[in-house]
Amino acid sequence: MAISQRAARALLLGPAGLWYAGLLVLPLVVVLVYSFGERGAAGGYAPAFTFAQYANLGARWTAFQNTLLLAPAGTLAALLIAYPLAYFLAVRVRERWRTLLLVLVIVPFWTSILIRSYAWIFLLGGRGIPHLLAELGMGDIRLINTPFAVLVGIVYGYLPLMVFPIYVSLEKLDKRLLEAAGDLGAPPWRSFLQITLPLSLPGVATGSMLVFILLMGEYLIPQMLGGGKVFFVGNALVDLFLQSRNWAFGSAMSVTLVAVMLVTVTLYMRFLKRIGAARDDVGLM
Amino acid sequence: MRLYALAVYAFLYLPIGIIALFSFSAGRNASQMQGFSTQWYGRALSNPFVIDALKTSAGIALTSAVLASVFGTLAALALSGMKGRWRALFDALIYIAVMIPGIVIGIATLIALVTVFNALNPWLAAATGWQLSMGAGSLVAAHGLFTMSLVIILVRARIEGMDRALIEASSDLGAGPLATFRQVTLPLLAPAILAGFLLSFTFSFDDFIIAFFVAGSETTLPIYIFSSIRRGVTPEINAIGTMVMAASLLMLVIAQLTLRRGGTPKDQ
Amino acid sequence: MKNDETPITRQKFMEELRRYQKGSVTRRHFLGVTGLGTAMAVLGGAMPMLHPGRALAGDIGDRVILATWPNYHDPENFEIFREQTGAAVQVNVFGSNEEMLAKLQAGGSGWDVFVPTNYTITTYVEADLIEPLDLSKLPNYDASAFEARFADAGTVGGKLYAVPKNWGTTGMSWDSSKAKAPFTSWKEFFDVTMGDFSGRTIVHDYQLTTIGNALKYFGYSFNSIDPKELADAEKLLIEVKPHLFAITSDYQPPMRNGDAWLTMCWTGEGKQMNRDMPEIQFALGKEGGEIWSDYYAVPKNAPHREAAYALINFLIDPQVNAREALAHGFPVADARVNALLPEELLNDPILHPAADLLDALEFGAAATLTDPNRAELMARFKSA
Repeated sequence: MAISQRAARALLLGPAGLWYAGLLVLPLVVVLVYSFGERGAAGGYAPAFTFAQYANLGARWTAFQNTLLLAPAGTLAALLIAYPLAYFLAVRVRERWRTLLLVLVIVPFWTSILIRSYAWIFLLGGRGIPHLLAELGMGDIRLINTPFAVLVGIVYGYLPLMVFPIYVSLEKLDKRLLEAAGDLGAPPWRSFLQITLPLSLPGVATGSMLVFILLMGEYLIPQMLGGGKVFFVGNALVDLFLQSRNWAFGSAMSVTLVAVMLVTVTLYMRFLKRIGAARDDVGLM
Repeated sequence: MRLYALAVYAFLYLPIGIIALFSFSAGRNASQMQGFSTQWYGRALSNPFVIDALKTSAGIALTSAVLASVFGTLAALALSGMKGRWRALFDALIYIAVMIPGIVIGIATLIALVTVFNALNPWLAAATGWQLSMGAGSLVAAHGLFTMSLVIILVRARIEGMDRALIEASSDLGAGPLATFRQVTLPLLAPAILAGFLLSFTFSFDDFIIAFFVAGSETTLPIYIFSSIRRGVTPEINAIGTMVMAASLLMLVIAQLTLRRGGTPKDQ
Repeated sequence: MKNDETPITRQKFMEELRRYQKGSVTRRHFLGVTGLGTAMAVLGGAMPMLHPGRALAGDIGDRVILATWPNYHDPENFEIFREQTGAAVQVNVFGSNEEMLAKLQAGGSGWDVFVPTNYTITTYVEADLIEPLDLSKLPNYDASAFEARFADAGTVGGKLYAVPKNWGTTGMSWDSSKAKAPFTSWKEFFDVTMGDFSGRTIVHDYQLTTIGNALKYFGYSFNSIDPKELADAEKLLIEVKPHLFAITSDYQPPMRNGDAWLTMCWTGEGKQMNRDMPEIQFALGKEGGEIWSDYYAVPKNAPHREAAYALINFLIDPQVNAREALAHGFPVADARVNALLPEELLNDPILHPAADLLDALEFGAAATLTDPNRAELMARFKSA
């Protein structure tokens, strides 16, 4: 019985295990090996053992800096915009309207992010919002191809991912708690700070982590709204593989990006556990 | 509060409105309104590359979502009661798979597969006259990696929240393990599997960055759109976007209506 | 193909062509009046691959994939090709030779035809990425019609790998309503960018021209791979970067809508913008810069090989090529095509600059494509 159960498990896990071995472990090992190699003569990869690629990482410091600045900033901005909306949907809206309003948050998600970002190129370009602002006498304001434009694109692209987890945790909140607090004479801001906010922290944690992880590898939005000037690590990576064809250096950068993410995300989870926002299944795990 | 919500919705829908508006432009310029016309819808629908890209995307999303749902569910079932080294190993793999940025998955898959193919192809070509190359297979594989992990997480959470007593009752009543699985476990897990499947499909259908690296000669819809944007966009792209969104909305309304009719009204 | 047999005069043909270009006559009218319709029918009989019949259309398949540069074709020509052969043309656009090479190196690009620039062809041949052309499938190619300096690079080791598409120069375009004085040099290009035009200038996302023109600022060779000279160019580029509007090879939309005022610019595109908006002017840098020639080539293992040849053959047909040239404005090295083009286009100062300016220009060198320092310099500049 014990043996057959073990065999059954192996059978069940087999396909997934092979998938992980062939498409996660093997590629990561290849990237790790390549990161110690050299650029081929006409580009690509040439075998070697050198730390030169890692030593050269400083040449992409700005890309790391932009990413490590704008990813948290974008996450925070999305959080600040999403929270009141999620709160409104979970607490203030009548049941009848709730589903419809929730669905309306995701619908934009179904148009390709490429097309939506393209719309922002127009909106932030000289004939869009800056033109309107100039008409209103706000002078010459340039938005497109700035970090601000990238931030707008980021918040726009990932807002639904932030709204949903927060909504879910707020919806579970027992409204009688708030009533009780009110009955006991607590002003609304106090019951918000002491009851609502702490109870919604798991949702905040999940949403933030989701958005943060996606932003760390972002390529498209800075590419489209940054005009090739606001470079993320993702843009530097694409450049290394699709323009300058330096697979070795690109591999070293990939390894570094993954390492940075492992460290930040793990620290973040620790922090959440400490402040008690984490249930056992916080985030994706 | 209500005003605030209104403002956020305006923010969400402004670009979409612009896209829908410009899709009816008569001119060639995608970011300017020049007269009214529905010609771009006709053009998009008669453009074989749009239809092709749509089919490719749908085919790849469907294949990878089915594989991810099946293999992910199997793995979740095996993992649910497991402890020890193997459990820890799989937990680590799942954690890494969902956390690694798509761009790294794309790059790593590309260089690993190119390396493997380059090593195997001379031998394969001599033996069979046939060679490996990047394409639909590598796309399904790379998408499946992330989505299978998603399915495992969702299904495992469901299993852990499931009432074990039901399964025990089933076997106490003399049902074999297979019958128990089919009649008790599977129906209980269905919502999680379905959710995983839908998420997987959406992810794969919408993915640009992984496909950008591993698509080989395949053109998925996002890749087609990206290429069109660089080519100088015509309102055709806006028309495609509007149609995809309208189709999703329609599916949603239909789903909602069938659920309403089929399900019992919620009582709370 | 024999122009002297065209049943209307050249002048009349050109008038009709221009009316057609402007969209004031339909394609059907155009084909009818110019006799091109009949010519096509006749040609179709002579050349099975151009026959519009269904059974034969199946021979080349129903699609062909072309990798090319922005704003480099007349979309109407692709529709004519589709009507004639049944094969639809998918156009993929790239902004640099590096990008095309990277895609081909990674394998499985799926392209049937692509458009490499003169200096890259030897690298493609050495890397075994393109095939020698089968001339029996390109009856419209007539080597003697081409000016040698724009066709030479297509032949490597005695074999023909690529046939010329267009040639041109890389200069600068600017909005003259914003500029105090016309631009005449790369020195001015970069200096004004750091002054009056701050935030309004575009440089290519392409190492050859962006680094090359920065090198010209100092009077170095456009093709330099000397580390000291490259270091100077890098210093300049990093200094200029905060003043740029964008780094992109797709510069027409922001130039046209007024977001950008100055850009590095390929001749034909300079002509396109100048034609529609006369205030956008074009000039070469007096220090020099690039002269180039683009080619059609077929990658190894092209999935629709027959269609690839049919498309190249169609596009180098002098009549078709003349329509292309009128649409995109780039000069053609094919004497048969020039015989069809109007005088004013052949004498256009943007497209055919004065000899002393031309003499200062350099063809790109193969070494720049593979030089690791130039590649890394460009990548550093972009991520700075």
